[in-house]
Amino acid sequence: MQAVEKTFKERLIDFTMYCRERQFMLGPQETREAFEIARRGYALDRKLFQYSLKAIYCKRKEHFDRFDEMFDRFWSRYYEEQLEARQKKVKQLKKEKDVDTVIFLGTEFKIPRKQVQEEEAKQTVGANENLRLRMTDFSKVEVADKEKFEELAEELFHQMSMRFKRRLESANKGSIDIRKTIRHGISKGGLLLDLSHKRKRKEKRKVVFILDVSGSMDTYSYYLLRYILVLKKYFKSLEFFTFSTELTHITPMLRQNNELEILKAIGKNVHSWSSGTKIGDSLQEFLSVYGSKFLSQKHVVVILSDGLETGNVTVLKEAVRTIQRKCKTLVWLNPLKGMEGYQPIQKGIVNVMPHLDAFESAHNLDSLLKLEKLLMDV
Amino acid sequence: MNKEIEDITKDFYRLDYILNEALATSVFLLKNLGKPLLLEGNPGVGKTVLANTLAQHLNTHLIRLQCYEGLDVSTTIYEWNYQKQLLHIKLFEQEQDKKTLGKEIFGMDYVLQRPLLQSISAEKPVVLLIDEIDRADEEFEAYLLELLSDFQISIPELGTIQARSKPLVILTSNRTRELSDALRRRCLYQWVEFPTKAGEIDIIAKKLPGIEEELATQVVTFIHNLRKSSLHKPPGIAESLDWAKTLLLMNQKNITDEIVKTTIGCVLKHKDDVEFVRNKTVQEFLYPVE
Repeated sequence: MQAVEKTFKERLIDFTMYCRERQFMLGPQETREAFEIARRGYALDRKLFQYSLKAIYCKRKEHFDRFDEMFDRFWSRYYEEQLEARQKKVKQLKKEKDVDTVIFLGTEFKIPRKQVQEEEAKQTVGANENLRLRMTDFSKVEVADKEKFEELAEELFHQMSMRFKRRLESANKGSIDIRKTIRHGISKGGLLLDLSHKRKRKEKRKVVFILDVSGSMDTYSYYLLRYILVLKKYFKSLEFFTFSTELTHITPMLRQNNELEILKAIGKNVHSWSSGTKIGDSLQEFLSVYGSKFLSQKHVVVILSDGLETGNVTVLKEAVRTIQRKCKTLVWLNPLKGMEGYQPIQKGIVNVMPHLDAFESAHNLDSLLKLEKLLMDV
Repeated sequence: MNKEIEDITKDFYRLDYILNEALATSVFLLKNLGKPLLLEGNPGVGKTVLANTLAQHLNTHLIRLQCYEGLDVSTTIYEWNYQKQLLHIKLFEQEQDKKTLGKEIFGMDYVLQRPLLQSISAEKPVVLLIDEIDRADEEFEAYLLELLSDFQISIPELGTIQARSKPLVILTSNRTRELSDALRRRCLYQWVEFPTKAGEIDIIAKKLPGIEEELATQVVTFIHNLRKSSLHKPPGIAESLDWAKTLLLMNQKNITDEIVKTTIGCVLKHKDDVEFVRNKTVQEFLYPVE
């Protein structure tokens, strides 16, 4: 009997909730049965798992007709990861065969053969574990690395937030205020220990994030969302929207302090999560409904999307052109840009490129951290 | 494919039932999880035959309960054997006191077991087919809930009777009425589609070994195209088989307009549907199915 992995369990619960949101009649009994089939190892075979869940989760024809598409959408990435992990394991085993074993003073040492050593040397860029994870594409984080990756993301985002804080503090310091410094020094026996600065008038930073949460951006949206939550504390005005087929204004949900609660609230309220992409229509909606309020020469607009438009490209082009004209800077962050051999040749991207002030990648932790400077210059 | 599912598919094929992978998985789960299986689909897609084949596959009995409006406990679960009870009273009224007599005549020996009770009283697990559940009243669905979830039946005079062996339950429905959510939630679900063209040719070839491939292909192409038309009652697999058998008996090599006019009654069972086909030419139904 197979033990059910914790991450798999969570994924299965998420899938149950995903189905429930789509009007499937699922209670604890169905979840228990799904766990039972996972425990019996049926999940190792994709088709068997799919048809088993289908028999358990569907209760009428309407469910039956929709299930396969929902299953594919939700589980494809998982099974691809499993396949990659298996291929990696096979490669690893192959590599292990290419080692010389030496027994020295009763201890076994495995020394890679020269050829393998050379190969390894080529990969030393990713030798450091943290560096490797920093460079890993969000969509390619393996199941085994997930926990470590989360920890690293947490740590790096925290460090980034501290850097932001320090920079903002120092940026807000003006010239030394002599009168104030002397007055504070009186309480310390006339010693001028702390220098007081003339307070510089705080410049209001205004940023608008528009995040694509369509199916093609699924794996990236989560990390980009967390990244934005970190930034939220350091901008006096940060507006946040998500879109796929429809636009949702997320800012009111960011008022809570607990990040987990915010993520939950967003998950609950964004109905078009993981669906198709209509970037042009969504940006047009942003312009017509929120444009007058959130677009000015003080605003920087950041669009996070892969640019895989399924709607009308002319509408997209026109919307981007209008936004760029109305705001100070327009930045497009595209996770696909980080892929090896990526060329901005998709119809959506080709049409909007001339109207962008910056076009950057946002596919791994490293690329997100590099955006710091861009955002600090806002 | 999982080894056990593969074995089920092969054995069903041996028994002349062609399972697709999804349906085979449902049968596999029915066997392994022991949860009832609700089969829905158009009439004639092979829902009832599936239960028959399952019983053969497991080498066990099939207990069938055909549902209809007005079905009640006495015809489905149990009934007291009144004649036997009266006889017992007559025989022993002098010898026994009333209390003991009362106890004795309300024992299991005086119960006439109906299909549902029979299925849970069997020594060895049986296949219980509750056929066309949509024809029964909603009240009967409520009776079934206890059996389907806990495999037990409550008889007021005797208490709760637990299953000696859990039957493999298959329910079928033609969707003439919407079943309750409570019933659906107690079952695995499978929508049974008409087989693919290749699948149906295979079925005909298996059931009628003497048929030529050309004729079997024409019959199936004709029937598949008929199903696409808006008929009162689209033909099922049984109708395909009947028609193929008729054509075989008549030594026909091809389907012609003449033959359609004389034999279409094997396929269509509604006057308007028959008229619809008679007003068309054979070629209109023999273009290849996509």
